[in-house]
Amino acid sequence: MSRPPAALANVGLPGQWRAMRKFDAHNHVFLSGRRSNTDWSDVDNLIEAADVLGIERLFCSRPITAGVMANIDVVRDANDSVLAAMKRHPARIFGYCFVQPGNGASALEEIDRCLDGGMIGVKLYNQFRYIDPVIFPIAEKCIQRRIPFLGHSAFLTDPRTLAMQPKTSHALDFCALSRRYPELLLILGHINGGGDWEWEIKGLRDCPNVFLDTSGSVLEDDTIGLCVRELGHQRVLFATDATMEGCVGKILSAELTPTQREDIFWRNFQQILERRKA
Amino acid sequence: MIIDVNACLGHYPFRSLRFNTAEKMLGLMDRNGIDRALVSSLHAVFYRDAHRGNEELFEDTKSHGSRFIPVATVNPKYVGWERDLAEAVERWKMKIVTLVPNHHGYSLADEHGRAALTRIAQYGVPVMLMQRFEDRRQRHHWDRAEDLQVNELLEAAGAHPTLKFVLVNWLGLDGQRLVEAGLKGRCLIDFARTQVVYRKEVPKLIEALGVEAIAFGSHMPFDYVGPSLVKLANVRSLRTGDYEKIAWQNAAGFLEIEG
Repeated sequence: MSRPPAALANVGLPGQWRAMRKFDAHNHVFLSGRRSNTDWSDVDNLIEAADVLGIERLFCSRPITAGVMANIDVVRDANDSVLAAMKRHPARIFGYCFVQPGNGASALEEIDRCLDGGMIGVKLYNQFRYIDPVIFPIAEKCIQRRIPFLGHSAFLTDPRTLAMQPKTSHALDFCALSRRYPELLLILGHINGGGDWEWEIKGLRDCPNVFLDTSGSVLEDDTIGLCVRELGHQRVLFATDATMEGCVGKILSAELTPTQREDIFWRNFQQILERRKA
Repeated sequence: MIIDVNACLGHYPFRSLRFNTAEKMLGLMDRNGIDRALVSSLHAVFYRDAHRGNEELFEDTKSHGSRFIPVATVNPKYVGWERDLAEAVERWKMKIVTLVPNHHGYSLADEHGRAALTRIAQYGVPVMLMQRFEDRRQRHHWDRAEDLQVNELLEAAGAHPTLKFVLVNWLGLDGQRLVEAGLKGRCLIDFARTQVVYRKEVPKLIEALGVEAIAFGSHMPFDYVGPSLVKLANVRSLRTGDYEKIAWQNAAGFLEIEG
């Protein structure tokens, strides 16, 4: 990983913030559409930004969004683009396998194919609520393969947004899934991805097996502090979901001890990944 | 030196804010290396009589004149607003005025919005337009205000060709469209919601409007300050960036204040 010039300004920020080790537990490739097999600008911009911000590893997926119930061929194509990005930037981009649970056995086979290709986990979007039994085989596959299950989440209070995403899962759905599968490595995605984040954090208080990631475009003060106070810092994973500068800045601004910051930036997620080897 | 052009004081009805008094915000600014901040009153957004919020803001900030640059809020639907505006600009020497049309129940293009923008332009001070306070996906049941729309802004810019605009907390501004609306040289845009690296909205705006159009803004106390500090630090990685201009010189020049 190339390093930016050491002399870049640091006003108001901790010293050596760029050099702090960081794993981005929730990001994406090709979300804006891959225009051709030779256009890597989106992926290369991601790596360029990661270099500037000192993000060593990016854990990426390419979900099918906008409520589309994609067939397995479309899902495979999306995952193939993630595999290609991993090959272009080995040791920087790592993959989550996106699956659409409604594809049944094909979805489970796709997880195996992705893991064989080097991916590290599964990413689900909002095609189904996570309390829907159609999710259970995916959760069981994740347990069997000892991989994390990263789920799109929000507690949406805006009626218009909710109407567009009626099956988006919130904290209590994650809790229900976690109670059914306590051994599942379950991650609530983007606590700041839009929606009432205070509700989400408080909703996770009684679900000790659910992690959350800090990504999202909302940069509101005290999000990270509330996560740590209510859940403990070891359940909190640094991530950006493409809001790269903002999400690094949130962790730098939060009132954390150096050890807490280091754990959130990378060590907590590293420990999740190591469970697969155990 | 940093001047933050995007900050508010006071209570917000739908969420607890930690650094929303003058004293607490000064502490936050000190910890983050921010020397001065443009501050508007959240109370002026939610009181029926916005000017009562201006009075509070004036009282709260007058003993910290070297740190705070108060922003007057005008509600052109409220009786006597023109006299209130005169008091803020002429008597209290406030250097900038903000409108919150979606909270006060009018549009920039209707008779109320046009009257307010015309009067502000006559005073020769800029108008500040904040696209939103919070993300609407988390809105409280009583929070009905929509985000300001880019088209509404562009129409206002065209209808008031001498008025200067400070645009804070915006996303979705296209530099070329701003140029076509005649805003080059008469707008100042903060980067609280845009990106220097990866999405690169800031360098794209610089390319279209010049580096003079960009200013530091954090949206404190709603948001963490760190995100904007990271962006400011990243300005130095840009070929077109100019750290000192973005950190404070552009704001000082635009508002005709000392750095």
